[in-house]
Amino acid sequence: MQTNTRKLKMKSEIATMKNVIRDPALFTTIIIVLSIVTLFIVIPLFRIMGSSFLFEGGVSTKYYEAIFTKAYNRLIIKNTLKLGLTVSILATSIGFLFAYASAYLKMKSKRLFDAIAILPIISPPFLIALSAILLFGRTGLISRGLLGMRDAEIYGFKGLVLVQTLTFFPVAYLVLSGLLKQIDPSVEEASRSLGASRSEVFRTVTVPLMAPGIANAALLIFIQSVADFGNPMVIGGNYTTMAAQIYLQGIGSMDMSGATALAMILLVISVSAFIIQKYYVGKKSYITVTGKISRARQLIDEPHIVKPIQVLVILISLLVGMMYILVPIGSFVKLWGVNYSLTLDHFRYVMDLGIKPILDTTVLALIATPITGILAMVIAFLTVRRRFPGRSYMEFTTMLAIAIPGTVIGLGYVLTFNTGPVVLTGTATILIIAFMIRSMPVGIRSGIAALQQIDPSIEEAASILGASSQKVFTSVTLPMIRPAFFSGLVNSFARSMTLVSTVIFLVSARWNLLTVAIMAQIDQGKIGVASVYSTILIIIVASVISLIRVIVSRFGVSADDIVL
Amino acid sequence: MKRFFSLVLVLMMALTVFAGCASDEAAAPAADALPGDGLELVVYAGLMEDHAILAMREFEKETGVNVDMVRMSGGEIFARIKAEKENPSASVWYGGGALTFIQAKNEGLLENYQSPIAETIPANFKDSEGAWTGIYSGYLGIEGNKKWLEENGMELPKTFDDLLKPEFKGNIVIAHPGSSSTAYNFLATVIQLKGEEEGFKYLQKFNEQVRQYTKSGSAPGRMVGMGEAPIAIGFLHDAIKYQKEGYEDLIFTAPEDGTGYEIGAVGIIKDGPDQEAAKLFVDWALSKEAQELGQTVGSYQFLTNPDANPPEAAMQLKGTTLIDYDFVWAGNQRQAFIEKFMELTQTELPTE
Repeated sequence: MQTNTRKLKMKSEIATMKNVIRDPALFTTIIIVLSIVTLFIVIPLFRIMGSSFLFEGGVSTKYYEAIFTKAYNRLIIKNTLKLGLTVSILATSIGFLFAYASAYLKMKSKRLFDAIAILPIISPPFLIALSAILLFGRTGLISRGLLGMRDAEIYGFKGLVLVQTLTFFPVAYLVLSGLLKQIDPSVEEASRSLGASRSEVFRTVTVPLMAPGIANAALLIFIQSVADFGNPMVIGGNYTTMAAQIYLQGIGSMDMSGATALAMILLVISVSAFIIQKYYVGKKSYITVTGKISRARQLIDEPHIVKPIQVLVILISLLVGMMYILVPIGSFVKLWGVNYSLTLDHFRYVMDLGIKPILDTTVLALIATPITGILAMVIAFLTVRRRFPGRSYMEFTTMLAIAIPGTVIGLGYVLTFNTGPVVLTGTATILIIAFMIRSMPVGIRSGIAALQQIDPSIEEAASILGASSQKVFTSVTLPMIRPAFFSGLVNSFARSMTLVSTVIFLVSARWNLLTVAIMAQIDQGKIGVASVYSTILIIIVASVISLIRVIVSRFGVSADDIVL
Repeated sequence: MKRFFSLVLVLMMALTVFAGCASDEAAAPAADALPGDGLELVVYAGLMEDHAILAMREFEKETGVNVDMVRMSGGEIFARIKAEKENPSASVWYGGGALTFIQAKNEGLLENYQSPIAETIPANFKDSEGAWTGIYSGYLGIEGNKKWLEENGMELPKTFDDLLKPEFKGNIVIAHPGSSSTAYNFLATVIQLKGEEEGFKYLQKFNEQVRQYTKSGSAPGRMVGMGEAPIAIGFLHDAIKYQKEGYEDLIFTAPEDGTGYEIGAVGIIKDGPDQEAAKLFVDWALSKEAQELGQTVGSYQFLTNPDANPPEAAMQLKGTTLIDYDFVWAGNQRQAFIEKFMELTQTELPTE
């Protein structure tokens, strides 16, 4: 009996293998994807792991022992988890609130909230930390100027929670509003007409439908929070997190092995979060019949629901808005906190420095964007719709990319591509690859989420009628998940432009990037110059995104479907 | 969809061409025949950014070499060079404390080069084998925010021991010795003042006074100037620069019982790609003209070339009491001391 099942299993594996080989386009694609994944995620990771176990030429667990025996290291791990959990709960809640308000409520000025929710995505992550210091620090506009506080304390846990929540809630907003818009209103209306109250519909229909999405969002935020190193560096004070410690240890004191050991632990935390979520999501079915929504949703207009949500959303938007208004203002202020007279000095200084990093960053991000967007959809399609040897390997490793702290993958690239068969450090190629690997998981996730909401029977029909995988993908799948694809493009551009942790180790004198330049300016305390750079960065990202939206509208996708 | 993909392709190709043009532009040839015509050079600079930019521009003008430069803090440059050891992308390390240069020399990361111009530079400002040569020196000191001190009825600490007073707990900002040569200079100064055992005891107590460790040594002074932190440890020539930039509340002093100082150095990275241009650069960087550039953009260190005129603004520091600084010893001990420092401070860090 047992041998029989094994035989059958073997047979079906051989059959899938045959199917794959019979479809040359599919076969080539799989080979390419698997090589990319192996070369740029798996191998660097193994190099890092190798170096974490290496001590004086032999294998040793010395570095791991050091981490678990020292109280300070345990505290850092605790700090990281505490921050990650707090931020993921807060940011997911706020993201859900925004998504719900945008998809379900009849409210004015929705577009404004949309725009404000976008701001954290299109700007470098540590920028809010900077604004937070300007607003709430010891000489902050609000803490000192408005409230007259003498010893305001923004450095530390509270500051980090504030800054990371505001930075990461748009991630949840993106994931959730994409899904909310996909929910067919008739499901909820059926529940309503059967006598359910608004809150019952919300609790028993909307939220369960959203549960995988919520878990998804919370997971993404948790992982981003624990991997974030820009904010802890700027505003963490003595509240050290693992990512910051990895940076300080690896780059500061060149204790590469100790840093990679810590990174491996961080990786285990992230991967565990990923596996828990996958298990949970895997149990839920959330297919809502077809990809197309039958008609527009009737928006909720009861004041007792709309008003409180509106007030909350407005307050949060105001806070976020304020954080960002400071940046362009800061670029004209002579010396923040000391001399508020207006000046163009910082702009002149930036011109003096040369616009090369600005140009380089934009060009590289523009090259990476379409490659990332298409690759992400291909991987999502392969993950959800195709069976082939190495599929779970591909799925797991592409997702892993988001769980690896950016600094470590950067270090891994330096370890792997500085010598040996493929030398890439110092080139534009490695930067483009870093952009791709870092921004792809978000695209893959939204692609998978979109595909899972579409019944596979449509594609199966095409397949049965004789269409190759390539044909199915370009003519059936991609058109159905267009919004996810274009959202992926926009996201990948924004993420590439604002990426700092990975590329900080890959920039060279020939290829320097804007975020790294900003980080250096902040580090030197040149807030005015950092503001100028940041303002330029935001303008570039915003204009390219608008451009993509315009282009996209010519392909039958309304700009509203582009989830930003 | 097909239309879209072709559009994307066209866009990408256009961009590649655009990128090509951009780099062509950068490589425009100089007009006259100069010693470095056609040569290229990549520099990691640890100087203040504006100073570094000006220096690169002048060097390009004088020699015709085409320079690409990145500004990083001293520890970062060291880490980068070490990481790139097998395949260096830069050839010159310009600026940043000599202590880090000494460690780099010990690890075999630097090329020996005896510049003819280095002959006039005193022996204690250069490596005997030519791995690095000093270009400037600056004194360590204590910076404070006048307003904060007045509001809290306090005085600027006069010695390093004053920093341990309870009222300064959580009020001192300094860079991390691992990432900043400024901060390591402080660490080594303390140990030279007090001996190794007492020195580390001091640092352990000092750690509890610290509000934040920054990456770059120049940041704490600015933070004090802004009022973001009350007390900082940093180089006094930076403090003078910040005062001149408009941070009126910034005051500073050199510790009465003697303080440490740094030597800023220049060196050639081993196996770097453009060794010829690198030698041209070192010669240039040691010249009177190159050294006098700094003061025009607010770098007020003392200079190593005896013919160069030191900045006017640095004269107020002339009488500072200095310790007998053993650079070679401090540089050799860097790794061990930083490890010990991190171990000590980490185990004793406050729990909240």
